Amino acid sequence: MASRTPVLTKKDYAVSVLRSYYLQNAQNYGNMQGTGMLKTIWPQLRKIYKDDESEFRRVAVSNLEFYNTNPQPYPFVSSLMLAMYDSGQDEDDVRAVKMALMGPLAGIGDALSQFALAPLFSTIFASLALEGMTFAPLIFIACLVAITFGVRCLMGYLGWKVGTSIIDTLSDQMAAIADIATTIGLTVIAGLSVSFVKVNLALQYTTSIKGKTQVVAIQSFLDKIMPYMLPVILIYFVYWLITKKKWTVYKIILLLLVLGIALSAIGLLKP
Amino acid sequence: MTFTVMQAFLIGLWALFCFAGQVWGNYTNRALFISFGVGLILGDLQTAVIFGATAELAFMGFGVGPGGSTPPNPLGPGIVGTIMAISIKGLTPSAALTLSYPFAIIVPFVITFIFTINSGSMEMAKKAIMEGKYRKYQWMSNFTLYGFMLFAFVFGFAATLSTSALRVFVNAIPTWLMNGLSVAGGLLPAVGFALILSTMIKKEYIPAIILGYVCVAYLKMPVIGLAFVGAVLAFNNYFNGKKAVKNDGNNDVEDGGFEDGI
Repeated sequence: MASRTPVLTKKDYAVSVLRSYYLQNAQNYGNMQGTGMLKTIWPQLRKIYKDDESEFRRVAVSNLEFYNTNPQPYPFVSSLMLAMYDSGQDEDDVRAVKMALMGPLAGIGDALSQFALAPLFSTIFASLALEGMTFAPLIFIACLVAITFGVRCLMGYLGWKVGTSIIDTLSDQMAAIADIATTIGLTVIAGLSVSFVKVNLALQYTTSIKGKTQVVAIQSFLDKIMPYMLPVILIYFVYWLITKKKWTVYKIILLLLVLGIALSAIGLLKP
Repeated sequence: MTFTVMQAFLIGLWALFCFAGQVWGNYTNRALFISFGVGLILGDLQTAVIFGATAELAFMGFGVGPGGSTPPNPLGPGIVGTIMAISIKGLTPSAALTLSYPFAIIVPFVITFIFTINSGSMEMAKKAIMEGKYRKYQWMSNFTLYGFMLFAFVFGFAATLSTSALRVFVNAIPTWLMNGLSVAGGLLPAVGFALILSTMIKKEYIPAIILGYVCVAYLKMPVIGLAFVGAVLAFNNYFNGKKAVKNDGNNDVEDGGFEDGI
């Protein structure tokens, strides 16, 4: 295909980064994000093909096909695709790049935004809120929105700036960043989880030491051996149910609900 | 305490705004943030935020479901749980959390329903574009968003107006069962934590987990300190781990060289 003179300006690319928030507006079980993906690049495509309506329709419809990725690094795809369309590159190549990026970017995006960033900020600001900092939710949301917006802008810029060859080194760097975030996240989550899950034994027994009767709670006994022993066991038990027994979340919730009520009713656990 | 229709309307709008964030991918649909707005509207920020933080930690792992399933949604505790925590005196955050689980579980069914009825999106969009009906396409391409918004508004509005019914229901719960619900509320966060661990864990992260446990259990470290300690471990891994990989790489090359020589 003959190459053509690019018509898109930097502003058009910036607008497409903002439009990346539309990606999931039509999420469905047919083409997942396909319908929304076209929406994110709609005005830019119109500009590229403004002289040829039937060409515009053909390209637009071809972008309705199945697409499913993480919305945070997605602007990388849209910028890259627009740059390729705008310079008149082969449509099959554009499609190949688009599909090739779907999986890796979803992986990197999920690792960063769902497994690392969100839990990390969640634990930090929720515990600050529990300590009485009522405006913690505002800082929480400001941090997450700002960071993910930064990621989108950076990704949009990189997609515009570079070709496909760079994705290997890019994913190496992203993997390193994701690794650092995951380590910090897991340290915080591991620490907080044991103190947040509450399993208190109500059992106690009376002894007489030197003629004085004393009530000894078994819980305080356990705490001396290993603090938070029961929460650790419970979390491991649920982890085991999820990973080894493949229990669904709903089944586990039901089990814990029944266990909590039953064990409290027979006086084994207390709030 | 009964809430006005105006408050119900505002909560509906707040739910709409927060739930739309699930589509936009900007994290407004988190229990901590939803509760904050509900607290502002209902005039008890303190209770709302304490409850929101409790629910946030319990639902932290529910961002993604294993194997593409849709997990319980924070809109349930964020709206209904917060309303219960504020309007029913003496209800502990744990008990309110347990009582809001059924609402958290309804939401993913609605999401699945919306995704399903929108399944023909591709065919309809294709038809609209080929016929040149671009406005129709623009409307259609927001279908899921509108569906989410409509549901969230109704959900928030109805929940606020049925406060007295919720209160009658909660007050009818006998003490022993209420204690049981509180105990269950203490156990349930284990699901969220285990879920997030199951998606993140690899053997090389085991030191991070032990470190986090030791800092809290034995050193009683506050959470920001915990994040710094985690950062020390992470950067140590990054810089010193890189060195190890580099050395391994060199060895491999040398080994290869010898083998080639032989």
